[in-house]
Amino acid sequence: MKINLKKELIGHIILIVSLLICLWPIVFLVSASLKDLNQIFQYPLNPLPENPTLSNYFTVLDRFPIFQFTGNTFFIAITVTIFKIITSLLAGFGFVYYRFKGRELLFNSMVLTFFIPMSVLIMPNYLLISSLGLLDTPYGVILVEIVDGMGIYLMRQTMRSIPKSIYECAILEGASPLYILWHIILPLVRPSVISISIMFFINAWNEYFWPLLILKSKTEYTLALALPMFISAEGGSEWGLAMALAVLTSILPFILFIICQKYILNTFIQSGVKG
Amino acid sequence: MHNIVFNKVSKTYHEKEIIKQLSFEIKEGERVVLLGPSGSGKSTTLRMIAGLEDISDGELYMGETLINDVPAGDRNIAMVFQNYALFPHFNVWDNIVFGLKLQNLPESEIKERAKAAIEMLNLKGYENRLIQSLSGGQKQRVALCRAIVKQSPYFLLDEPLANLDAQLRQHARQELIKIHESCNSTMIYVTHDQVEAMTIGQRIAILHEGVLQQFDRPEIVYDNPANLFVASFIGTPAMNLWPLITNNGQVTIGSSTLELPPYVKEKLTTPALTVGIRPEKLRLVPVERAMLHGECQYIENIGNIQNCLFQVNDMIKGFIQFSGLENKINIGDSLGINFNWNDACFFDSETGINLNSKQSH
Amino acid sequence: MNRLSKSGYLLFLPAAFFFSIFYYWPLLVNVVLSFFSWNMVSSKIKFVGISNYTDIVQTAEFYSVIVNTVLFVLFLLIFNFVLPYIYSYILAYVLKYGKNLYKVFFFMPSLFSLSVASILFLWIYNPLAGPIDAILQIFGLDSPRWLKEPILVIFSISMIIAWKVFGYNFILMLAAMMSVSKEMIEAARLEGASDWVILRKIIIPQTSSSAIYVFVITVVFGLQYVMIPVNILTQGGPNQGSANLVYVIYQYAFVFYQVGKSAAYAVLTMLLFVIFAWWRNKVLDKKVYYEN
Repeated sequence: MKINLKKELIGHIILIVSLLICLWPIVFLVSASLKDLNQIFQYPLNPLPENPTLSNYFTVLDRFPIFQFTGNTFFIAITVTIFKIITSLLAGFGFVYYRFKGRELLFNSMVLTFFIPMSVLIMPNYLLISSLGLLDTPYGVILVEIVDGMGIYLMRQTMRSIPKSIYECAILEGASPLYILWHIILPLVRPSVISISIMFFINAWNEYFWPLLILKSKTEYTLALALPMFISAEGGSEWGLAMALAVLTSILPFILFIICQKYILNTFIQSGVKG
Repeated sequence: MHNIVFNKVSKTYHEKEIIKQLSFEIKEGERVVLLGPSGSGKSTTLRMIAGLEDISDGELYMGETLINDVPAGDRNIAMVFQNYALFPHFNVWDNIVFGLKLQNLPESEIKERAKAAIEMLNLKGYENRLIQSLSGGQKQRVALCRAIVKQSPYFLLDEPLANLDAQLRQHARQELIKIHESCNSTMIYVTHDQVEAMTIGQRIAILHEGVLQQFDRPEIVYDNPANLFVASFIGTPAMNLWPLITNNGQVTIGSSTLELPPYVKEKLTTPALTVGIRPEKLRLVPVERAMLHGECQYIENIGNIQNCLFQVNDMIKGFIQFSGLENKINIGDSLGINFNWNDACFFDSETGINLNSKQSH
Repeated sequence: MNRLSKSGYLLFLPAAFFFSIFYYWPLLVNVVLSFFSWNMVSSKIKFVGISNYTDIVQTAEFYSVIVNTVLFVLFLLIFNFVLPYIYSYILAYVLKYGKNLYKVFFFMPSLFSLSVASILFLWIYNPLAGPIDAILQIFGLDSPRWLKEPILVIFSISMIIAWKVFGYNFILMLAAMMSVSKEMIEAARLEGASDWVILRKIIIPQTSSSAIYVFVITVVFGLQYVMIPVNILTQGGPNQGSANLVYVIYQYAFVFYQVGKSAAYAVLTMLLFVIFAWWRNKVLDKKVYYEN
């Protein structure tokens, strides 16, 4: 392809300006967390803090049980991820390697749940969790999130790329389906499974609404729930602390993303490529 | 007994019958090729034997047992797949011993069997190589190796040479025959390549649209095809097929008229008769002595032989094959062609059946 | 491929069980509860027939909620469907360099929790000292009260979602644009087709299935995501000015304790989604090019 210099230049200008707009809140978030309150109010546009200070972070750590929030969040996110991966692996495997009446119907009925608006489900699920006595426990949050329609869709897509004959060959050797899944299929789709796990983990980590309904006491709070506590009254004065906690909340997803951004992007892209 | 018996086996998929009432027997220790164009149902037939496709109707026996509902893993079958189906995350050795380990055989026996098979297929020194690092031919040999260590009485191959280069193929054919002769299992081989079928098969089963067309030794399939489909499918170029109308029990091609043999007259249902004659049975002769006068329309020189497309009239055209050294012919030349009526096959144009066929369908 | 053996059903059992309990059972519960009056805590529960529905439809609130929902959808479609579409076209077909870098950086906002995004934008929108106010002051302008004015509040909240979702939709569209066969475009170029013709006759049809997907998730997820900033920042205000269908379901159940009305809203919302899905299948799919 020939490069048209003028077009290339204009295109980059448009994209870079947009990118700056997109990234500006992030830069702002980090810089505000390093400023003291005076600086935040006086120079809201200055991205570089004068005399950067970690005092906001120390105050947050001091005044709130951040480690407990982090622990709660981590426990929920990791448990949800593990269960979602297990249920999606099993069902995805079944959809790829077995033929039976009503297969497409079952598949669609599972994958389409992905599009059911969450708020339609929350009240009945809340009643159910409450009747199970799981309100205000992490298990109440986890139980509802053990399955994932998109997860099943993605697992099926990934496993489809493995030639069927590999599965058939193992069947002829007398291997059981679970043996094949564990010893043959899983090692072959491991990169995808890892990135789907990261996607599940980040989503569960960031989740707000459902935990908000289930978790009542502060000791059970997740990071995402703790953050809005700063904003009891509008224009509350603890912006520096809020930004510090926001950074702490976001740092793990960011690290995960930076470590394996290539895998993650591919998985997110796959989730949008319709089969 | 390790024979395989099909008794009116049918397979329906999405309400379409892709295998229709298949009935034949493969004898113990036999080397049978299932041959047919794509979509003929040959792979489905093989996969039904393996247990990878279920049988919609009819009975399939292996040995004396009805195996319609026996799961694939319990049929004790070794199979080689077209794409080899090697486990890419295992090395060569682990691929070969995968099935043996699942059978919980003693370690010493696993080693012994694997070593023997590796020896046989010249894979020594490759045991620790990863699958990705192998060439196509090596992968194919590993797949064969994995199948023969099982020492199973049934050996199924689904187009195992289709992904190889032409040169490797001939060598692989010899190797396959050697392997079969040394292990003596019942071997069923699926291919769409008639050269493979002719060279490997002790008998060839030709399938078309899910129906068995002919099941016989290669030379019979070639010389006396059961019907027009087999006649046009086997041979390159295919048998020349000339539709003619009989007249008082006689048939005329060019300047030659034949009184039809009694068996033909007897079986022919309408006057429409198709005469089939192989290109290599036609002979080039000087024009003045010829039974047929044609014009060369196209010629291809393969080196040792030449194939020439000629046309006599609207009905009679076809290929003549002769040695590359014999004659020099150009497009547009007039040709004199002779043949011997003894080399001809006679087909009923309505039903397509070879009137001389011993098998009746 | 194998017939499913009896034990094979066990593979689907865990997923099927949890989907039925936490996705399909609630839909049924909603339908039932929508015919009752209940405050969620008391043991008094009264059958009221369809009066929850008739009550809802007779309030002005219902219509303003619908209008708000439509406005949200419109803003979201502009920022999370039209813009990603244009940007991915520019990056895939106008620019030669920098594809991967743009992908990585544009995606970054997607990593944030909406609770973080809400707090962050609350400060950004701060009309007295926030950064936008500071920019406007340079031009001698006063900042509007972003979250307090009707309609403007919908725009402001949509921007929060737009910020989070843009990058995700952008890389989806970019992947679709990049997967259009290069040979096809080269062939069209050789025939002398202009960029415009190539866009209309090749790129748009070839990327339509992904575009539909992005369109659908923009509408469906956009509306769900909107709940979070609405709940954190406005609680549906000012004067229910930012309440949409998805939010009032929550509000009626957990703020007003009118379970029956919440369920009725949920049933209506679900109906709308089903109609939307049906419309997508019937109308949009016909115009879509799918491979295979």
